[in-house]
Amino acid sequence: MARAKIKRGSTSVDMTPMCDVAFLLLTFFILAAQFKPTEAIEVNPPMSVSNRVAPEKNILNVTISKDNKVYLIMDPLIKGDVLDELGKQRNISFSAQDKANFERTDFVGVPLNQLKQFIQLKPGEAKGADLPGIPVDSTNNELAAWISAAINARMGQQLNFLIKGDDRAKYPTFKAVIEAFKANDQYKYNLVTNSKAVPEGSELYKKNRAAQTDKKTTE
Amino acid sequence: MAEMEVKESKRKGPGVKKSKKHSTRVDLTPMVDLGFLLITFFIFTTTVSQPTAMNLNMPKDTKDKNLDTKVKESGSLTLMLGKDNIIYYYYANDPSKMQTTGYKAVRDIILKKKKSTPAEDLFIIIKPDKDATYKNAVDILDEMDINDITRYAMVDPTPEEYNMIQQTEVAGGVK
Repeated sequence: MARAKIKRGSTSVDMTPMCDVAFLLLTFFILAAQFKPTEAIEVNPPMSVSNRVAPEKNILNVTISKDNKVYLIMDPLIKGDVLDELGKQRNISFSAQDKANFERTDFVGVPLNQLKQFIQLKPGEAKGADLPGIPVDSTNNELAAWISAAINARMGQQLNFLIKGDDRAKYPTFKAVIEAFKANDQYKYNLVTNSKAVPEGSELYKKNRAAQTDKKTTE
Repeated sequence: MAEMEVKESKRKGPGVKKSKKHSTRVDLTPMVDLGFLLITFFIFTTTVSQPTAMNLNMPKDTKDKNLDTKVKESGSLTLMLGKDNIIYYYYANDPSKMQTTGYKAVRDIILKKKKSTPAEDLFIIIKPDKDATYKNAVDILDEMDINDITRYAMVDPTPEEYNMIQQTEVAGGVK
């Protein structure tokens, strides 16, 4: 019974390189993913069906926290100019050091008379919840002054005004913010929201569907 | 390489039993599966969480009464946003016939009004009172989008209306 033996190759594939690639990619994505930075101001915006992505450039963000405090977040590019402009308007002199400190802060969350102490804080030390917020009362609407300074600092270039409110913020605060914008003749705002799906069967849903089928037929 | 080479020792005496060697090769398929699953997960989650923005255009305040938007009484629906996610609504210009609803049911009311009114007459007046939240205001604006209402305005309730809401709230036991 002498039979020539055929050498059989193994059918099992070596998975090691594939495994290597998989984990390399995994590591890459984990490291490259930009995790949401822990925000100094905790805000949980409401949902809307809007699918427009919020602008990220040239922004002036007014944030309303759940306890109705108002904070201002500016585009880092205009911060220095805004402070100069505000100093001019309110006759406050800011030193170069003040300005450098100010550019380091992530947001503004105090009345003007506490601003100099506020900018001494190191980034990360400033927690929204501990700060009084920017006054927006009709008698002392400092937010309007900030907005006006930002508009002047931008010299006619269009700023994107974002309003980011918390679910639990009260309407009067939101209205006061709107008033501050109105005082500066600004009437267009972007309300930052989380997106949700358009309810099926609603008018907008039908409209979107119709727009989609139109697109398909023209293509 | 996944398999490890096991060197057999040459010092095997005659009395030494050969122990059966198990293969040291590990099946990596589940590990690869897991790896790709995680990759897929990360790819999908990295782009999704961008915040969206809703446009809001407010009218310029005018003192001139002639420039105010004229609203046909028959086509108006007023929604007053009160405390505790309650909406008080009335048709035309008759606050005494105020009814109560919530944010889920308001869509039907808006749609009913929309169907029964000519498009050019339809006007929805939103009046958030002092106790309404920002979410309420955004929700109702969103509702305008969802129902494709183009003519609406956001104004303050009159003191009388506010009193009525207060009274209703007290009567209804809303704290």
